[in-house]
Amino acid sequence: MRHFFYLHAQSARSALIKILRQPFGSLLNLLMLSVALALPLSLFLAVASLQDWAGRLTATPQITLYMEQSAEAADISAVNTTLHKHPEVQSFVFISKGQALKEMETKNGLQGLSDGLGGNPLPDAFVVTPTTLDPHELDMLQKELSGLPMVESAQFDASWAKRLFALISLGHQLTWFLAGVLGAALVLVTHNTIRMQILARRDEIEVTKLIGAPDSFIRRPFMYHALWQGLVAALIAWGLTCWLALAANPAISEFARLYNEQVSLRMLRPTELAAFIAGSALLAMIGARMAADHHLRRVGPR
Amino acid sequence: MIQFDQVTKRYPGGNEALKNLSFSIETGEMVFLAGPSGAGKSTLLKLIAGIERATQGGVLVNGQNLTRMRGNQICFVRQHIGMVFQDHKILFDRNVFDNVMLPLDIIGFDRRDAARRVRAALDKVGLLGREKSMPIRLSGGEQQRLCIARAVVHRPSILLADEPSANLDRAYALDIMELFKSFHQVGATVVISAHDETLMEDYGRRIIRLREGQFAA
Ligand SMILES: Nc1ncnc2c1ncn2[C@@H]1O[C@H](COP(=O)(O)OP(=O)(O)OP(=O)(O)O)[C@@H](O)[C@H]1O
Ligand SMILES: [Mg+2]
Repeated sequence: MRHFFYLHAQSARSALIKILRQPFGSLLNLLMLSVALALPLSLFLAVASLQDWAGRLTATPQITLYMEQSAEAADISAVNTTLHKHPEVQSFVFISKGQALKEMETKNGLQGLSDGLGGNPLPDAFVVTPTTLDPHELDMLQKELSGLPMVESAQFDASWAKRLFALISLGHQLTWFLAGVLGAALVLVTHNTIRMQILARRDEIEVTKLIGAPDSFIRRPFMYHALWQGLVAALIAWGLTCWLALAANPAISEFARLYNEQVSLRMLRPTELAAFIAGSALLAMIGARMAADHHLRRVGPR
Repeated sequence: MIQFDQVTKRYPGGNEALKNLSFSIETGEMVFLAGPSGAGKSTLLKLIAGIERATQGGVLVNGQNLTRMRGNQICFVRQHIGMVFQDHKILFDRNVFDNVMLPLDIIGFDRRDAARRVRAALDKVGLLGREKSMPIRLSGGEQQRLCIARAVVHRPSILLADEPSANLDRAYALDIMELFKSFHQVGATVVISAHDETLMEDYGRRIIRLREGQFAA
């Protein structure tokens, strides 16, 4: 058993030394892997940051219900009760036509506006804050509310929020797509690296086979090489994204300050970092195992 | 015990290297294999080590039929065999010591004992002073002795030597024969091939004579 661990430690060590001492060409290979991993990682962070920010927005989407001009107090209280009972309504405020007019007059300095118009043209209104943020559910709610009796229209006054959420979900999809494609690239690149190594060490493999080495013994150094390569590439990729975030954050917060918002790219959380590194190492080892299974069989006796 | 049961070996696209051979070698026996170049000596030894597979017939080593075994099982049979290859099969990317260490690494030998074993094996073939040398700096005969040290270092129960004294002068050839004999004396099965029989006859052992893949008269 001790020997088993010794062999693993030995393979791990010599594979690491080999990676650290490798020629410039293989170093470029490693950098290429790192950049490939950094791409989806940065996108992931950008989308996650955007999502964090969107979650913090106080301006959650609101739906404004405009009553018909002819609506009576009874109609208004009916709508009031409906909204009270509605499970998807978090809160609402009623703004009477009189209130609305007063606000408008003071805000815009249009004293005596109604006199000029010969009456108050504004309708009574409810401003509804829904519980949901989901664009689809918001749509349904809007349709439902606009169908209430004596309600003229229900306006979704935050269609930008809808666009924001659509953008975030697109960003998620793009992240996973990139992660899939570049993860496959990681598998293929490691497959190729290990294939080249196996071919370069044909003699050694053949001789060790001849004197009784099982496949696991022959495969071990290659698997460790792939493991280290995946780990190192993931760490470099992480470093790249950290650097990107640090470099971009001042400009982003400057820009956001123009809109009185606080936005910045966030860093990976420890669990996310662990998952990212473990995933990269796993993909690299899958590539190595595929190469080993395919090519070791062709070297040496049977 | 090694047993050949009507074994024929045909190389792809080639002639039959062995033709319908049946014989057996007892456990602990020391046997010589003689015959001119191309007679099939190396092929016969490779069949015992599971390096080549019989085209027809059965090859039994210690009761296991190699012709029916899969590649990943045969390696464990090979771990009990020490083989001196005709073409040495030395690894030129590591020094003499590490070459001899290889079989011990494979079978999972304790490291400290292993270093002692390696030195003992190198001592037996007269290479103790060269353990740090790279094999490329060794003469043909020294390379051959390196190969012998690697074949015996893990004390295999079967020792197969394919023309082990081909590149050695008579003094060294006799030393090597004594080494093989000492293995035989502690119970190992030993098979040694050579194309010239002069060395063998002094030992009074059974000689299997091959010619064109068959027993010679
Ligand atoms: N890998 C191979 N592919 C095709 N034919 C082969 C192969 N190896 C050996 N042979 C043929 O099999 C026959 C026996 O070869 P083998 O190497 O067993 O002879 P040998 O007795 O060891 O000869 P030598 O004394 O020259 O080493 C020869 O005719 C040879 O041409
Ligand atoms: Mg031969």
